[in-house]
Amino acid sequence: MTLQTTYTLIAMVAVFVLCSWKLKSPEISMVITAIVGALVAGFGFPVRLLVEGTLTYLDLALLFITASLFMNFYSEIGATNALIRGMVKTFYDKKWLMLFLLAFVMLVPGAFTGAGSVSILVVGGLVATVLEFMGFPPERRAAFVFITAILSAAAPPINLWAMLMAAGANMPYVGFNKILFIPVILTTIFAVFFFGRGTKARPKSEVLANLPPAAKGMNWLRLSLPFVLLLLLIFMAQYQPFVIPVIGLPLTFMLCALLVILLDPEHRSLKRWWTVATNTIETVFPLVATLTSVGVLVNIMALTGVRGLIAINFVTLPIVWIYVTALLFCPLAQGSLSYGSAVILGVPIIFRFNSVGVNVTVVAAALSLMFPLGDCLPPSRIVGRLSIEKVGYKGSYMQFLKAVLVPWLFLAALALCMLIFTKTFVPLTK
Amino acid sequence: MSASNIRKLAFLVLFLVLAGFASAEFKGLRYFKEKVVVSEAFTEKRMLSDWLPNIKGTWGDTPVYFYDSGKPGATVLIYGGAHPYEPAGTIAVYVIMENLQLSNGRFILIPRADMSASTEGILGNAYPQYLHIPTSWGQQQYRIGDRETALIDQWPDPFTYVHYPSKQNLAYQDLRNFNRTFPGRADGTLTERMSFAFMELIRNEKVDLVIDFHEASLMYPVVDTYVTHQRAEDIAMMAAMYCQLEMPMKCEVSPKGLRGLTHREIGDYSDALCVLIETAEPFIDRVVGRVTEQLMIDGKDEFLERASEKGLLYTSYDINDAPTIDHRVARLLTASLELIKMYDQFYPDKAVEFWYPRFTDVKTNGLGSYLHDPSAADPSRVFEN
Repeated sequence: MTLQTTYTLIAMVAVFVLCSWKLKSPEISMVITAIVGALVAGFGFPVRLLVEGTLTYLDLALLFITASLFMNFYSEIGATNALIRGMVKTFYDKKWLMLFLLAFVMLVPGAFTGAGSVSILVVGGLVATVLEFMGFPPERRAAFVFITAILSAAAPPINLWAMLMAAGANMPYVGFNKILFIPVILTTIFAVFFFGRGTKARPKSEVLANLPPAAKGMNWLRLSLPFVLLLLLIFMAQYQPFVIPVIGLPLTFMLCALLVILLDPEHRSLKRWWTVATNTIETVFPLVATLTSVGVLVNIMALTGVRGLIAINFVTLPIVWIYVTALLFCPLAQGSLSYGSAVILGVPIIFRFNSVGVNVTVVAAALSLMFPLGDCLPPSRIVGRLSIEKVGYKGSYMQFLKAVLVPWLFLAALALCMLIFTKTFVPLTK
Repeated sequence: MSASNIRKLAFLVLFLVLAGFASAEFKGLRYFKEKVVVSEAFTEKRMLSDWLPNIKGTWGDTPVYFYDSGKPGATVLIYGGAHPYEPAGTIAVYVIMENLQLSNGRFILIPRADMSASTEGILGNAYPQYLHIPTSWGQQQYRIGDRETALIDQWPDPFTYVHYPSKQNLAYQDLRNFNRTFPGRADGTLTERMSFAFMELIRNEKVDLVIDFHEASLMYPVVDTYVTHQRAEDIAMMAAMYCQLEMPMKCEVSPKGLRGLTHREIGDYSDALCVLIETAEPFIDRVVGRVTEQLMIDGKDEFLERASEKGLLYTSYDINDAPTIDHRVARLLTASLELIKMYDQFYPDKAVEFWYPRFTDVKTNGLGSYLHDPSAADPSRVFEN
């Protein structure tokens, strides 16, 4: 079995590399890789499992679509521009305060939903625009959005990786607040100073002159109400869960989008909203395609035993080698399995450390800071791609990765310290 | 029409054709009926919705089988299928249903605690849909299913699950996990309502002992173990000792800080004693190789053997003597049997006199020998789930 699974893995890697090179489409390449994997492993053409795989990340795809609809509707009525104008007027002269405010704005949506992509989709565009005025080159804008987005996903109270690991290991999701909050805040501070160094902002008067004028009839009530509703629904779901039914994030965003339409000062026609909606779908479609094909690939990796082969090779390493390779395996697993990485690798690692008497809350927290590092890695690159698309960055992906590298390493080092020196961090779990 | 649109249309048609084939398989699992031939001790079939009418007509409703001797004795509730991807639990309940002989007391048996979860596969795990048990009269077929209530019956998930009534935060998908939603809510989500209906059944039928059948990953510390509410600790500890005559068994007390689990909440919110039994299932380990029905049946996996050699497992594992489905069902049978016998010793005024096959019987004769041919049985004794 080991030999056959190894052959299958080699065949899948070869086909993926070849298809990516020839077809220039990672999505189609992933589906072809999955089909070849199933054939090489002797499973024929498993129609049900291929189709089932397309549904694996359906919820995430719906989240991307609806959050994008909400923000594009919001921009359509001129609210985003008005908001940016307001922020520039008030905070533009205080560079560092402005940057910390932008980082905070990025951290909040992801911290409460567990998804960094929500931060990017909701406020990423707005933040990127202000950063542009502040003299950030394009790759640094994308890197700022990416780093703050993954930090938002790792931040408490909702860290999905830690939650999934806790669920898999039958641990309560308690004791994570401080131990996640401190590294996230430290990395945020580092990232703000790192990205903000040496930038030269355009003069405030020039920025204001170039910003589109506020839409007629736009006021603070229209600007704030959609976000008030968004935060209200999120906080109600978290803190009053037995009062309202479970509506999920996609419907939450749809309700906010509907409110935007009702608040439109210019009362646009339904035809116009339809155009905005179809344009949004066109924009989000490549990302949805990625999620769909990653789901297919993940399903076939499980079927053929390739997933198990990778997992067993990692978890049977001596503990010292786990320390050495964790920053390789965990991000790469995230790049291919998304949140599934926490279940496939995270849970066995927790049991592995538990068997030698290490505090597993610290281990889970450390791992939950490592997994998001892989959100910019292939084959999925979900958060990385979202960042560059939202920022409108047109340069090479490698340049973007270079821009991300130093804060990425800072967070990686913190997480690794937590994994190695667990005892030091135990007081933060109390 | 442009070339681009023609290409898109071709992709769409291709996907619809594939989806059509896949749908037939999805539908097949959803409506597949498992057959069971009940023993002569059977007295009545009811539905879970009898204890909470608002689940009637939903996929959360499930058959509840009563075996009542009519003579004084304890009421024992045994159920499997809280997590259908751990099928030994369901099959063990079927074996009890088909073979139970009862002189005193009452048994309530539920093979499919979360019916909905048994009708859908697990996304991202590529599980087979069915497993087949060989018998002398042919093969008996069972559903495998998901860990959680089917998305088609309870959707969407929240971004985090807040447990009722403790308000403890749990992973989002656990709102569909039958073994995380106890004691349930009468007006909550489908899974919370199912859990609440179970609590109502337990309270109204004055159940004395609840036994919840599960299977566990070998890398999970609580494997081959009783997990017991503290009120049943003495019984479970003693039963574990008696199990050693046939098989190793551990015992752990339910943690008070982890909410929603049956062994915690049933014990806290009713007078019943509650014990969950875990047996080792290689199939659900995260590190196993090819995910096939064969692995579900024979439990042989080279990767797991490597994990065993490295000391990463919480129970012994030998690929040449792996925990087959027969072995796992057999473990659940003896583990439950010893619990009830120990209950009899602790509460002799409520003693239950009964028989069903135990570990040694199943290991000697094979699981199939305790499953009866529905086509040859009295139709009034054949039920479908």
